[in-house]
Amino acid sequence: MGVVLGTFSMHTKQVTFRADKIDDELEMTMVCHRPEGLEQLEAQTNFTKQELQVLYRGFKNECPSGVVNEETFKHIYAQFFPHGDASTYAHYLFNAFDTRNNGSIKFEDFVMGLSTLLRGTVRDKLEWTFHLYDINRDGLINKEEMTEIVRAIYDMMGKYTYPALKGDVPKQHVDAFFEKMDKNKDGVVTLEEFVLACQEDENMMRSMQLFENVM
Amino acid sequence: MAAGVAAWLPFARAAAIGWMPVASAPMPPPPRDKRRGQDGLIILNVSGTRFQTWRNTLERYPDTLLGSTERDFFFHEETNEYFFDRDPDIFRHILNFYRTGKLHYPRHECISAYDEELAFFGIIPEIIGDCCYEEYKDRRRENAERIQDDEENDNNNDMVLPDMSFRESMWRAFENPHTSTMALVFYYVTGFFIAVSVMANVVETVPCVGGPNRAKEISCGERYSLAFFCLDTACVMIFTVEYLLRLIAAPSRYKFVKSVMSIIDVVAIMPYYIGLVMTDNEDVSGAFVTLRVFRVFRIFKFSRHSAGLRILGYTLKSCASELGFLLFSLTMAIIIFATVMFYAEKGSSASKFTSIPAAFWYTIVTMTTLGYGDMVPKTIMGKIFGSICSLSGVLVIALPVPVIVSNFSRIYHQSQRAEKRRAQKKTRLARIRAAKSGGANAYLQYKRNGMLADAEEEASKQAGQALVCKSNPTFETQHHHLLHCLEKTTNHEFVDEQTYETSCMEVSLAKPSMSRSSSLSSSPHGLSSCCTRRNKRKSFNVPNSNMTAGRRGSIQELSTIQIRERPLSNSRSSLNAKFEETVPLNSEEQSYITAAVISMPTPPVTTPEGGDSASSHDFLQSNIVRVSAL
Repeated sequence: MGVVLGTFSMHTKQVTFRADKIDDELEMTMVCHRPEGLEQLEAQTNFTKQELQVLYRGFKNECPSGVVNEETFKHIYAQFFPHGDASTYAHYLFNAFDTRNNGSIKFEDFVMGLSTLLRGTVRDKLEWTFHLYDINRDGLINKEEMTEIVRAIYDMMGKYTYPALKGDVPKQHVDAFFEKMDKNKDGVVTLEEFVLACQEDENMMRSMQLFENVM
Repeated sequence: MAAGVAAWLPFARAAAIGWMPVASAPMPPPPRDKRRGQDGLIILNVSGTRFQTWRNTLERYPDTLLGSTERDFFFHEETNEYFFDRDPDIFRHILNFYRTGKLHYPRHECISAYDEELAFFGIIPEIIGDCCYEEYKDRRRENAERIQDDEENDNNNDMVLPDMSFRESMWRAFENPHTSTMALVFYYVTGFFIAVSVMANVVETVPCVGGPNRAKEISCGERYSLAFFCLDTACVMIFTVEYLLRLIAAPSRYKFVKSVMSIIDVVAIMPYYIGLVMTDNEDVSGAFVTLRVFRVFRIFKFSRHSAGLRILGYTLKSCASELGFLLFSLTMAIIIFATVMFYAEKGSSASKFTSIPAAFWYTIVTMTTLGYGDMVPKTIMGKIFGSICSLSGVLVIALPVPVIVSNFSRIYHQSQRAEKRRAQKKTRLARIRAAKSGGANAYLQYKRNGMLADAEEEASKQAGQALVCKSNPTFETQHHHLLHCLEKTTNHEFVDEQTYETSCMEVSLAKPSMSRSSSLSSSPHGLSSCCTRRNKRKSFNVPNSNMTAGRRGSIQELSTIQIRERPLSNSRSSLNAKFEETVPLNSEEQSYITAAVISMPTPPVTTPEGGDSASSHDFLQSNIVRVSAL
């Protein structure tokens, strides 16, 4: 009797085994992407050939398949912030770089984003930042989106900070931000308000120039 | 941090632009790029095999030979390359480590040669990747065990240490018979007597031909009863003496008495003594005969002489649950078939299947394919079920044997692997944690070293410190600058766990002290308390801690504790200054600033409401106390 039951259970096991094999075969065909030529990229971005070479070598080292998916992106970004949890902010960053919204970043997207951030005009940088904050891509930043972003930034700090992080600190930060940016006090910040407010802020302008020579 | 992501640092820094609009404070200035060296190719000539790589690749790990200035010692001017007189095959793996951030262990290489190369190039083996780590650790352990075995064998062949007591040497002789001739002799003698005793037990039941004047056969034991009795006595005496000697020599008598071997010894010699004690009474002689069965346990004494027996015993013990389950399933099958057979054969006349338990015997004999034939079914239904029974018996009996064997090998290998994994898991987790906290701590260390001073100060100190401070690689400085930017964005600082907990304590302390401010005119920060008390205190001061309020009397108890100020941000620099000048500490140490940990088990906020010194005394005694200076 037990023998009969045993043979039944073995049969079901075989079925699942077959299903697994099919999955394995699919995985064998890996996604592999190659970027366009060096000259084209050089024309499209503001980087020199050497800089593109260095960037690509680093990119390819970490992502041999030529594309970055969100998991890898989060993993890479988390290595820089071991104190806290960088995954939420990395998620927003990923969406900002993934201009085609297909869940993966190719080398071209990567380089375009970097070109804007490092070699673009002030206006370009501010626009990029605005798009980073505008999570739902409706052209406006409201308080919820800003709270999300600020909370993600504070998450990166981790638990052990001085002074100790209290619950309402992100909220205060968001309120201060809206105080400064929202000129007509309508509860949302548009691109123009954002750009105007940032250009008025001396400190911010100076800070933005800091990262010019990152490469 | 994996060096592979070092290439992504420019990206992470660029993404920091996203923090700018949110930042509440201006960003710190970026670090100056100390060396804008060309990213050129380096040629590494290892015993004739030329390897080439980028300079930046090697500099990812500045604490190794190739990544630091130590490689300059190997620079060969004439050929403009770095020459290493080492093994090129192993060097390949070392260079791959720089390229990929993962160190692999080649299985065909000798473990000690590999270790030597790692040591030469300054790479710690703990960073071997997970794929090869298990193999590496296994080989290392085998090697270490082999070396240890060799040493042990050498040790065992040495003469007995003169300072070993007689008892210890006797125990050693018992446990390792090969150590001395006496021990060997004793070993063989006991073995011989065990064999003799067992043989005597066996032979004494064989029927001997009686004397010429006797017709019937009696067993040899009854014929030569005196001889057998003498033999038995001799054997038991030897066994008793051996047991007593072992008992005396055992380092831990209690443990010895509990051990399995000693129990076997006792059971082996007990029947004889019980037989001596008991009289030749009719009613107890039956029990006495049964007791003699236990003499056969003497055969188990052989397990001291045979390692194989011991292993078998251990196997059975470890497979006990599987065997138990097997027995249970067999019992189920037996009961089922016995019931079926009983009811099938109920109708037939003169059936031997008188009851279900009677049918058990038939089922067992049939299932194990013995088939004695003393019980056979006569009805057709009985025969059908009987054949099903024997067929299924074949399967049921054939299944357990490989199950037990595979269970044994599985359990054996599993326990070995589980132990390995447990040992490695601890180290692996520790590695991961250490790497993570290393990254975190590196930044805090960086801050403490004051490398984040203002630009002006830096410029002035540059000349003086350029030679003194360790040349941090560009990557590190840039990474620290990035973390500093994050701090400025959020207006909070990174601290380590202990400081965080201390500041949490303070916050909880600060609140209730305000209610007691009437008893002493001290501010919540204890700043003035520190100063006003300086004359009364001859032992110490506890700045920032308000627990001293209301406990002047018991302060003397804390005289042995030194609390040192921890390095906080600039707003407390005034406190530092005051602390230094006002407090004459009890110890001879200077009051330099280090981080201190004051850990208090409970927030001391509720107890001293009454303010009576008695309660505060108790409170103090229970709470204070663990201060560890870092």
